[in-house]
Amino acid sequence: MTTDSPDKIIDRSAKLVFSFFLSSAGLWLLTAALFAYLAAAKLTDPFFLSTSEYFTYGKIKVAQANAFVYGWGGNAIFAVSLWILARLSQAEVRGSFFLVLAGVIWNLAITFGLLGILDGHMSGHEMLEMPTEVWPAMLISYLIITFLALVIHRSRQIKETIAPQWFILAALLWFPALFLIAWHGLEINTARGTLQTVLSMWYGQSLIWLWLTPVALGAAYYLIPAVLGRTIDKYYLAVFGFWCIAALAPWSVVHHLEGGPVPMWIPAIGTVMSIAMVFPIAVASTNFHATAFLDIGKVWDSLPLRFVIFGTLSYTFSSYIGVVFSLPAVAKITQFTIINEFHFNQRVYGFFSMIIFGAVYFALPRITGREIPIAAKSFHFWTSTFGVLLLLLAYLIGGLTHGVLAGQPSLEWSSAVIGSIQPYFLITKIAFVILAFSQLVFVVNVWRVIFPNPLSLFAEGKKEVSA
Amino acid sequence: MNNLGKFTIGIFLTLGIAWLAFVVGARKQYGDLVPSPQALEEDGSIPADADIFPVELAGLAKQGAEEYASLGCVTCHTQQVRRVETGFDVERGWGKRPSVPRDYVLQDHVLLGNSRIGPDLANLGLRDYSDEWFHQHLFEPQSIIPSSLCPPSPFLYDEIDEPVHADIEVTSELDVDKTRYIRSSIRASRLVAYLQSLKQDYELPEVAFVDQPVEELVAQEDPSDVSEIVSSSIPTWLQQQMDAGKEVYMKAAAGGGMCFTCHQPNGVGLAGQFPPLAGSDWVLGDKDRLIKISMYGLMGEIEVNGVKYNNVMAPPGIPPGSLTDDQIANVLTYIRNDWGNSASAVSAEEVATVRASLKGRAPMQMFTAAELTPAE
Repeated sequence: MTTDSPDKIIDRSAKLVFSFFLSSAGLWLLTAALFAYLAAAKLTDPFFLSTSEYFTYGKIKVAQANAFVYGWGGNAIFAVSLWILARLSQAEVRGSFFLVLAGVIWNLAITFGLLGILDGHMSGHEMLEMPTEVWPAMLISYLIITFLALVIHRSRQIKETIAPQWFILAALLWFPALFLIAWHGLEINTARGTLQTVLSMWYGQSLIWLWLTPVALGAAYYLIPAVLGRTIDKYYLAVFGFWCIAALAPWSVVHHLEGGPVPMWIPAIGTVMSIAMVFPIAVASTNFHATAFLDIGKVWDSLPLRFVIFGTLSYTFSSYIGVVFSLPAVAKITQFTIINEFHFNQRVYGFFSMIIFGAVYFALPRITGREIPIAAKSFHFWTSTFGVLLLLLAYLIGGLTHGVLAGQPSLEWSSAVIGSIQPYFLITKIAFVILAFSQLVFVVNVWRVIFPNPLSLFAEGKKEVSA
Repeated sequence: MNNLGKFTIGIFLTLGIAWLAFVVGARKQYGDLVPSPQALEEDGSIPADADIFPVELAGLAKQGAEEYASLGCVTCHTQQVRRVETGFDVERGWGKRPSVPRDYVLQDHVLLGNSRIGPDLANLGLRDYSDEWFHQHLFEPQSIIPSSLCPPSPFLYDEIDEPVHADIEVTSELDVDKTRYIRSSIRASRLVAYLQSLKQDYELPEVAFVDQPVEELVAQEDPSDVSEIVSSSIPTWLQQQMDAGKEVYMKAAAGGGMCFTCHQPNGVGLAGQFPPLAGSDWVLGDKDRLIKISMYGLMGEIEVNGVKYNNVMAPPGIPPGSLTDDQIANVLTYIRNDWGNSASAVSAEEVATVRASLKGRAPMQMFTAAELTPAE
């Protein structure tokens, strides 16, 4: 025991928590994949499952987004953040019992939340559709986990902090603030009229920009140097990039309200700030890619890093596209089209999830001491890549078609406008099947490492009891 | 960056500034937003006995809003008409004017939406669909619009084997032989009441109808221009009916008649193809025939002012055959009194009488000239 390196000890302290959050995240990922398939299937055949009230398209679509962001995203964030913070602080994960307990509450809250949505108790606020009854449980369990993450950070050996820590800590702290602001403005002291929409839209978009995005960026800032064994190129820019995101992102997200019944300064300032977002995007992109392309062969050889670089490229690409689509002249065409789906999937799948996959493949063997077969990882990478690209292309081309045709008032809506984008719905259905398959491979990969021999668990348990 | 406390203050500060603007600032801006009359007096006061808008929804419609939210309709439908410079919504006939914040101040749950796989619904109640149409659409959208992607909601209805008068007949366009009868549940009735209540058909001090530029509005209110209106020989009610009729005649979007595309804006038609309306013996003659043609269209040979035409006139309106009694009365009054024509006005009651007399006629079954000409 005494010969173990400090990293080994830290990894061992994180094992239970990491395994718990990761295996729950995997189950949510599969749940979301199932919902995604059902929603896509309903768009190709409106009669599919139509006799059941619990599975209207509106409910399933919303349930999918919630399962993905809070279920998969939330659990993955807990797993990856705790481990990276522990590694960087050179401190052990403490309070595993409370972490797992809070995790159970969090997962139960989301489960009941999703059941509530399917049962017709949807709140109608973007990304806060789960019934208000589960909100307190979500907030409390989240705060427990964040508190224990801060405990790890406070007991760090090196006082100096680096980029991954800023991004991850900021994300952990921003979420409850966003959540409370939205809760206060939507339920406690309900805003009047369309201000509700401003607020829920701001929350829903900020959730992606200030919660999922920084964690993924932080993980990338950690993994790229760790795998390549070299420092981040032009690292001095990272601090500028971080504060740019912190200062600009909360403003930029409201550009989606362009032209709507809200005070005109709100979308206007959103557009200005969106354009300013090119700075932090450029910084992150320079940091990541300048470093990675110094040693691109090594990036290609390391599967975790291949996932991460796919994610960072996707981030750069999607963020620049987001800037272009925020320009009023372009928004006139793309607003309200299935381009929205392109943005959402690009962010949560092409960027966030791909980086998390990379982080998991990097961390899991170190934590459990068991390797995942290279063929299984590689299969997951290629199916994911293919599925995501197919999905995004369909939404992008379909969305542009949607917007251009909708802008011609002489075209009849359902037969001409929506009829023309129906082939793309079919493609997204195929893409979701591929992705579901790919996610199943990921979850099997993870579970096989975490529970190498499920039956022996029971056997060991019995032995302990008898002893 | 190394001090967790300072770091936390920093990141909450950046978030807090945005919060101050969007929540605190915007809330203050919305503070005094209340329903208002369509126009204010010159000194900014509210005119006496003016109706104020928006109006509170009826109880049933309010419950319908909850159903709408709970079923997730907002996932595919927006309820906002964008400003003319930022979208095509008014052009598409989704509203008479852009939506403004004041339109929503009385709603408990604002359901603006951000995706349009289905059309915008901000003015659904203005599209003159019957309750029956809504029920048929909710039960099975494809029975009315075969290409619709909207999921059917059969769980809101009971299918009835032995129908009574109040039950609704659903005939699928895909399978004409299959006729079903449905009885709506209270939830379906709430939803329909809500959908019918969606309308922004009033002007507000901050926004005017798009077809009517603001300068014109001001001009009408300006007392110095009253002389011009008074001096015209046409009574005000007729002028209003003709104005409304002209709108139907010239409008090529949902809710319009699109008449001008064939009969031309000046009513002279197109030689050899479409008969003229100006000076036409049909237009200035029997009202009943005109009303019937406006409802069902006309096909085959017709002789107008001694010239024979042979073409097809689909049931007018977008969608076809959708013109309401009021619209038909207005547009017929318009074509009987513009371009030098002068004949008696047509009232909505007259249209309703003719519509009642044609109750058994299948929708879209076009008339022929022979059918409309009394046997001699």
